[in-house]
Amino acid sequence: MGYEDRNFSVVGKGVHVKDASEKVTGALKYAVDLKVQNMAYGKILRCPHPHARITRIDTSKAEALAGVYGVLTHLDTPGLDWEAAWFNYRGKVLDGIGRFVGDDMAAVAAVSEEIAEQAVRLIEVEYEVLPHVFDMEEARKMDAPQIRDEGNERDPYIVEWGDVAEGEKDAEVTVDCDIFYESQQYAPLGRNAAIAEWMGDKVTLWTSSQTPSELRDGVHEALGIPLSKIRVMALPCGSSFGQWWSNNFMIITVLLAKKARRAVKIELTNEECMATVKRRHLERTRGRMGCTKDGQITLAQFDHLIDNGGYGFKDDVGFFCVDMWGRARHGHYAVHGINTNLLTAGCMRGVGDCTLGASVERVADQLAEKVGMDPVDFRIKNQIKPGEELRMQHSKHNMKGNIKEYIDGIREDLKEDWPELFHLSSGSTEDILTMGADAFGWKERWKGWGKPHTVDGPLRRAVGVGTGAHVCGVEFEGSTSAVVRINPDGSLKVHCSVGRQGQGSETTQSQVAAEAMGVSLDMVEIETGDTDSCPWSHGSLASNTMYRVGWATRAATMDARRQLLEIAARELFDGADPAELDITDGVVHPKGQPDSNRRFPITQVLHEIRSDTLGQTSSITGRPSVPMPPATTFARQFAAQFVEVEVDIETGQIKLLDFLAAQDSGTVVNPQVLKNQVIGGAICGAGFAIYEHLVFDEETGAIKNANLLDYKLLRAADFPHQAKVMFSESYDPVGPFGARGAGESPIAASIAAVAQAVYNATGVWVDLPMTPERVVRALGGV
Amino acid sequence: MTTLKVNGQTHTLDVAPNRTLADVLRNELGLIGVRVSCSEGECGSCTVLVDGEPVTSCMMLVDQGEQHELQTIEGLGTSDDLHPIQQAFVEQQGFQCAFCTPGFVMSAKAFLAENPNPTREETAFAMSGNICRCGAYPYIVDAVMNAAEKLRARDGADRRAAD
Ligand code: FES
Ligand code: FES
Repeated sequence: MGYEDRNFSVVGKGVHVKDASEKVTGALKYAVDLKVQNMAYGKILRCPHPHARITRIDTSKAEALAGVYGVLTHLDTPGLDWEAAWFNYRGKVLDGIGRFVGDDMAAVAAVSEEIAEQAVRLIEVEYEVLPHVFDMEEARKMDAPQIRDEGNERDPYIVEWGDVAEGEKDAEVTVDCDIFYESQQYAPLGRNAAIAEWMGDKVTLWTSSQTPSELRDGVHEALGIPLSKIRVMALPCGSSFGQWWSNNFMIITVLLAKKARRAVKIELTNEECMATVKRRHLERTRGRMGCTKDGQITLAQFDHLIDNGGYGFKDDVGFFCVDMWGRARHGHYAVHGINTNLLTAGCMRGVGDCTLGASVERVADQLAEKVGMDPVDFRIKNQIKPGEELRMQHSKHNMKGNIKEYIDGIREDLKEDWPELFHLSSGSTEDILTMGADAFGWKERWKGWGKPHTVDGPLRRAVGVGTGAHVCGVEFEGSTSAVVRINPDGSLKVHCSVGRQGQGSETTQSQVAAEAMGVSLDMVEIETGDTDSCPWSHGSLASNTMYRVGWATRAATMDARRQLLEIAARELFDGADPAELDITDGVVHPKGQPDSNRRFPITQVLHEIRSDTLGQTSSITGRPSVPMPPATTFARQFAAQFVEVEVDIETGQIKLLDFLAAQDSGTVVNPQVLKNQVIGGAICGAGFAIYEHLVFDEETGAIKNANLLDYKLLRAADFPHQAKVMFSESYDPVGPFGARGAGESPIAASIAAVAQAVYNATGVWVDLPMTPERVVRALGGV
Repeated sequence: MTTLKVNGQTHTLDVAPNRTLADVLRNELGLIGVRVSCSEGECGSCTVLVDGEPVTSCMMLVDQGEQHELQTIEGLGTSDDLHPIQQAFVEQQGFQCAFCTPGFVMSAKAFLAENPNPTREETAFAMSGNICRCGAYPYIVDAVMNAAEKLRARDGADRRAAD
């Protein structure tokens, strides 16, 4: 299974992304840019109350308005539950109950957006206002208003190992925490739209989505029609970070198009994107950690609450911090998912690791300070190393039952080729902490806990370090596949369902296929959004893309290559052993002899089967021929980041002065793409650390800052433009050409690094987001 | 009737005066490179040049575009003949999803016309009227610095050719 050879010709090259010129010329079409013939425009009626039931709805005036093609209410829907990936949404498309201000209640299709808007206002609705609850602790109580039929609270997700009472006994120092996290908004640039069109009983849905396959599943569940009648065409997304997976407005568009008997486009406004789709959870960590005087963690005990809002249904926010700090001798982590009458919460980039993970980092830092250890050394001492046990195997519950049960069905003989399950297969924070600390000059710049290296009037400058980890895809909802076709002219077409959320996966998947086949990159084209041609995959989520989809792309290419070489051996190399043949630059030749006289271009091999009248095909189709080993049980990605901040202790203003991000994602398939992922994550994390948070109205729970004027994002001058990125040399035994996942560990590391740097500058820990007011308050000001 | 001169071409349009310039450019003239995100002048993704000055077109009514030379991203290079700024964004990969990119390119064009030899600090500051949610900022700064170099070389060559 391992690939020793690291002499790659396409993998590892920082080639420009395939769609670069469409991107810089403005030609790329996102869903908002698409129009189809005779399409109508849809608008959604939104709930004005935090919790209410429709008792009467009269659409006659809306329907009578000139230019209106149809009005959709809960009375028109099949009443089936549907689920978005990872329980980011669970419920009915419309059921006449509003669970937060802004919830979807009905929709209108009309000849123009203006008329659709007018018609929405003409729908007469009477609501029975129901009692509501915004606070997750309140929502847990027995007598709380119930938001969902299933009750407000999910069974906790619990991971436990050892015996925390023992850990407590062995601890020589302990630290407790109680930390509350505000909610970050995806704050997408680019908004989104969905267009649906029916032809007979078949429907096509165009939208910007990272998860085409799962969206098709959602439409299937919500409408109760066969999967074969649903075609999702996922278009490129603007910035997404988990927002644009499968969303309820997309399914409303499908139903509305049916009602209106024509194609319908619903384009969300920026405010709708920020106030009606989803957001990061509000979260609260209570915890306790203990260690010995020489810095060995003996105890890690955390209880974490996440607020799912109206339709989120999660109980298991990633928390790969559990595995990363897995050297703790005894552990107990519990996560409780709770529904409230706030906007739905879902997985945003680095879910759990940006919150629970940041809490663990902070408490670990406080322990390190108590025992007088350097944060880099403390991390190296207590964070997991390759070959060590993953703690997630000790889960008591998770979304699909116990992880062990899930693995139990796997055939024994398959496991022979796999890394040891429930043990880390490769990578760690050790190398990246070491190389990052060296390059950053950590030893010289860190002056000790709570000590700035420079004091200049009210300005305090100091450095901080943080780490983050995440999975490299999770398989609980199905196995990922890909299809690779070799065309008669020797070009390759890859079909894999990852969508196009902008990080460059079309390019990196194509690099994997080109490398596996032995052709140049320009011979590879790729389709990532069409569910009629791409086999099922989770899509671009949970850092799945390079590890699991890339594995499938490589496996499918290898299968096509095997068939190609068998034909070549039989038809062109006098029945030679196919294993003795190789392909370089699109030419088949005896292994080790690329310049041999006996060499035939791929086209010629294809020609052999085409000219054979008894042949069964004119092109070759490959697909993975063995299952991928379960990535959850051994693969992780790691980030270690170093930051220098300046804090003005009078104004509370934080400036980021310098940044270094070291990343362990195994083989780097495209350094240009990966550095963007890493720094993009770091900036999004830094934004969450120092500014970003949604403001909920106390009376109604409505979001008060659902716009980019009031919801502040970092800008170019707010982040060090000289930021450096470094990569580890680790190599994964399963991932394509040694690569692993990448997108989510960097955001988590950044949050922890900035928080620690602010502590080192000021001597106080500030809860996120560290806005100027909070910094001043934490320093004892008013 | 509204007359707009966009990318060197004149268009006479019958559009309601309450429509924004961004909306008309996108939906009447098909210039989808004018990206609209926030619709309130904050993100800069809809930036176009009005007589060379960067303007957020979501905040302009269509009639305010009359009597001016308008330029959108479509008025720069084409995919086989990229403008040096676009070329620099490709080379430095100053984007991920690229929803923000046309806006940044147009802002960069106006900025480099004013300041052909900027420092990195000046560039980062000048690019702060636009938002990139994907966080490509360091590479956007790289791209603009690289574009400045390309433009200086090109203009130097033009001058030499003219001499
Ligand atoms: S869309 Fe015009 S500035 Fe954001
Ligand atoms: S590249 Fe996505 S917003 Fe800038």
